[in-house]
Amino acid sequence: MEFKELPPVKEQIMKCVRCGKCRSVCPVFAEVGNETAAPRGHVFMVQMLRDGKVEPDKAVYDKLSACLMCETCSVNCPSGIDVHELNAAARSYIYEKNPSIAKEFIFDTMWTNPGFLKASTHFMGGLQKLGLQKIARDMGLTRILPGDLPEAEKILTNIPTKSAKTCLPEINKTVGPKKYTIGYFLGCATDLLSPEVAKATIDVLTRNGCEVIIPPGIKCCGLPHIANGKMDTARKLAAHNIKLFNSYNFDYVITDCASCSAALSRKNMEFLFKGLNIEDQAYDFSSRVMDLTSFLINVIDIQIPEVKYDKKVKVTYHDPCHLANAQGITREPRELLKRIPGIEFIEMNNANSCCGGSGTYSVTHYKMSMKILDKKMDNVMETGADKLVTCCPSCMMQLKYGVRRHNWKCQVVHPVVLVSECYQNALIEQGENR
Amino acid sequence: MEQVAIKEELSKMLGQEKVLTENLDLMYYSYDSSFLTKLKPATPDAVVFPRSTEDVQQVMKFAWNNNINIIPRGAGTGETGGCIAIEGGIVMDLSTWSDIEEIDAMNMQVIVRPGVIHADLNNELAKYNLFFPPDPGSSKMCTIGGMVANNASGLRAVKYWSTEPYILGLEVVMPNGEVITTGGMKARTIKNVSGINLTKLMVGSEGILGIITRIRIRCIPKPSARGIAMAVFDNLDDAPATVLEVYQAGILPSGIEILDSSAIHAVNDFKPEINLPNAEAILLFEVDGNPPSVEYEGQVIKEVAGKRAREVEWSTDPVRMTQLWEGRSVTATAAARVRPDGTRIFAGEDISIPISRVADTLRAIRSLGKKYGIQIVNYGHIGDGNVHSAPVINPENPEEVERVLKLVHEIHLLAIEMGGTTTGEHGVGAVRRSYAELEHGLAVEYMKRIKKAFDPHGIMNPGKVF
Ligand SMILES: Cc1cc2nc3c(=O)[nH]c(=O)nc-3n(C[C@H](O)[C@H](O)[C@H](O)COP(=O)(O)OP(=O)(O)OC[C@H]3O[C@@H](n4cnc5c(N)ncnc54)[C@H](O)[C@@H]3O)c2cc1C
Ligand code: SF4
Ligand code: SF4
Repeated sequence: MEFKELPPVKEQIMKCVRCGKCRSVCPVFAEVGNETAAPRGHVFMVQMLRDGKVEPDKAVYDKLSACLMCETCSVNCPSGIDVHELNAAARSYIYEKNPSIAKEFIFDTMWTNPGFLKASTHFMGGLQKLGLQKIARDMGLTRILPGDLPEAEKILTNIPTKSAKTCLPEINKTVGPKKYTIGYFLGCATDLLSPEVAKATIDVLTRNGCEVIIPPGIKCCGLPHIANGKMDTARKLAAHNIKLFNSYNFDYVITDCASCSAALSRKNMEFLFKGLNIEDQAYDFSSRVMDLTSFLINVIDIQIPEVKYDKKVKVTYHDPCHLANAQGITREPRELLKRIPGIEFIEMNNANSCCGGSGTYSVTHYKMSMKILDKKMDNVMETGADKLVTCCPSCMMQLKYGVRRHNWKCQVVHPVVLVSECYQNALIEQGENR
Repeated sequence: MEQVAIKEELSKMLGQEKVLTENLDLMYYSYDSSFLTKLKPATPDAVVFPRSTEDVQQVMKFAWNNNINIIPRGAGTGETGGCIAIEGGIVMDLSTWSDIEEIDAMNMQVIVRPGVIHADLNNELAKYNLFFPPDPGSSKMCTIGGMVANNASGLRAVKYWSTEPYILGLEVVMPNGEVITTGGMKARTIKNVSGINLTKLMVGSEGILGIITRIRIRCIPKPSARGIAMAVFDNLDDAPATVLEVYQAGILPSGIEILDSSAIHAVNDFKPEINLPNAEAILLFEVDGNPPSVEYEGQVIKEVAGKRAREVEWSTDPVRMTQLWEGRSVTATAAARVRPDGTRIFAGEDISIPISRVADTLRAIRSLGKKYGIQIVNYGHIGDGNVHSAPVINPENPEEVERVLKLVHEIHLLAIEMGGTTTGEHGVGAVRRSYAELEHGLAVEYMKRIKKAFDPHGIMNPGKVF
């Protein structure tokens, strides 16, 4: 579809009254302080692009890509403008006209393309050992990758050597009677960065009446591609996943990754496929997609086994943008935490402000990312929490780095891992009592 | 002076990080919230971000010596094109200079630099149980400098008035680079009648006399209780009549807001769950103070409004108050959304008329809307006669734009005819300057002389106010 004909471009640009409300909520604007980084500035620039007042070139791309795609502006815009979608559409348009400029994308391909990663199961491990710089040099990427690479590399430490997919079977039977057949959308970040989350997800679901199937051949959800100007690739990836999952008859498609559930949501399907042939199939698929915590609270109404504990653990929660802003899910993760025995929940200030990770942003815009992360960490540390919980493996990576960067003793963890631990501990206690 | 040379000089003077010179960057400074600049954005020659009085002085002296226009800018939420370089020049963005320099709780005052955001200031003051009462709808984004320059006010102007009475003194950098202090800038007094009141002159001067670089503000104790009454009317004339009667009963609510039938429809369309009663008009009264006084005033309003209203609801329950107030606060938003292929625009949006003429004016605006075939959502601060009309159009349809501009002109003329003004709080800027003679007659000549005395070269924000 032509750039000008894309629904957000066609319908939403004119709705911006430049009221500036979005200035007051944008985490990047808060740091930069000038209009070039303001959400309404992005809307303005997309309009200039549409009207041919500026060229689809690197300079414009750089301005637009300063945005984290955190969607905070979109949920706060009185005129109902999806600023991030406009931005994504514009990046994609520029990329199409000018493929060489989307340097970040090459990095994305490196770590979100299963082909690349599968080719060597130790790719990430290797990447770590050799260092990003060397890999980049070997691949001839140093010229195009951002200058912050040596710094950004630090974020990527402690990557597990074995991915979740290599350890988990395709079919995971329920423990006890079966109520639901679940398709588990095992996203790249969970798979590669947090395989323990995948294991816990399977554990908790199978203990709650779910048969969990991991369809072989799942591809990236496409969100990084949207963020980096590759709408076409995002469409192809989504189409592949839609067909794959629709070939089963799942009651629900569950994911533990906030970015994946946002990418697979109805709203994003509309963004990608509105007016195209695959539209209906896409909506059918997205109608089954549900974030793990919503499923555990709203569908299963999970009752977590009572286990003994010595001392309450202080826990705080960070709202991933793709869960809170993109999907309005804020209650369920907290509710889940409150149901875990031995937890003292402490709400942090600005729990819903972005952590600055935003997929590849921390690598492509290292300095800005760190400023935003440091603000987040101030709020986290104020709570004195022992555990920092969040529902997105990409946020987890960023927050783990934040914890290290501030020498803070605090475990960054997905809530499902804590729930799974309760089941494991309950089993141990039962064994002891027997 | 050539644009390239201007950029070079500024960068040398302030350092790269305080100057924008790339053409692409400058484009982002071509608009504010006005419809005018959405139609005709105007790109400046450079943008500077001063962070000290000396920075401002240097730039001003440079501009004075080279005859370059200077356009002060806060957050760019003004609705008049006031901060736009419509005749070229350097935009001085003061929004990053946001220090709260001193909170003097004992003397109930605070000193700020111009870029402090209104809501941020009140959050700080709340720690001392104080507040700076004017409360524009743009509180979370607009700067104090912009508020002073526009003499902004807001929902609670009925009781607390506008920015002006709270400004004790200012530091101003004059167009020639000299620095003056006005009123009580150097004193800590609340009263001060020494000398010609230049503070009053600067407040509302819309950036055409000098750059406001420091502001001493008087704060007052924060009320401990509030309550809201909603009155529903089948007859539009009953709404202003009720407002007057509430005043006559000795009650001064903090805010009195009106939604006419167009606004009620818009709100219900946009958020059916708010479910406002269908009516010709709804009035919302907010009272604040201490719990017994709030309760007493609420009961009086209930009684007085009950004489004419179909129904009156009084509440001090926080949840219910939020619901009631939401009806008002979503109106601006709802107006933007009533037409899927259009939006509300900020034009002809700020007329102010005598309270006794509000009903007539609203009716006249409705028939103007019919005449031009344009939907208009009306709401506003009826307690002080400040009506916000939101025309809803497709801003990218030239024919509709042409029609709406004619409509807006007629709304402005209507305001003057009703014994009112074209702007109650947003200011004149570039969009309403053509009405200056009509509104002020000979006084405009004196305004021009004052301007000349301050700014003989005419470099401060040209093309605005008159
Ligand atoms: C959604 C919305 C709601 C609004 N609600 C209200 C309301 O309820 N009440 C109300 O009064 N207004 C309202 N406004 C209008 C606007 O927000 C106010 O006029 C505000 O005070 C402008 O502040 P700013 O920092 O954005 O100034 P800008 O728009 O940047 O500038 C406004 C004017 O002030 C001048 N200026 C700015 N800073 C300085 C300085 N330091 N020295 C000298 N001149 C300076 C500029 O040159 C310009 O002429 C609203 C606007 C929006 C978009
Ligand atoms: S909040 Fe929405 S309408 Fe207002 S300036 Fe931002 S994008 Fe435009
Ligand atoms: S998506 Fe987030 S970072 Fe991007 S413009 Fe909106 S608020 Fe700012």
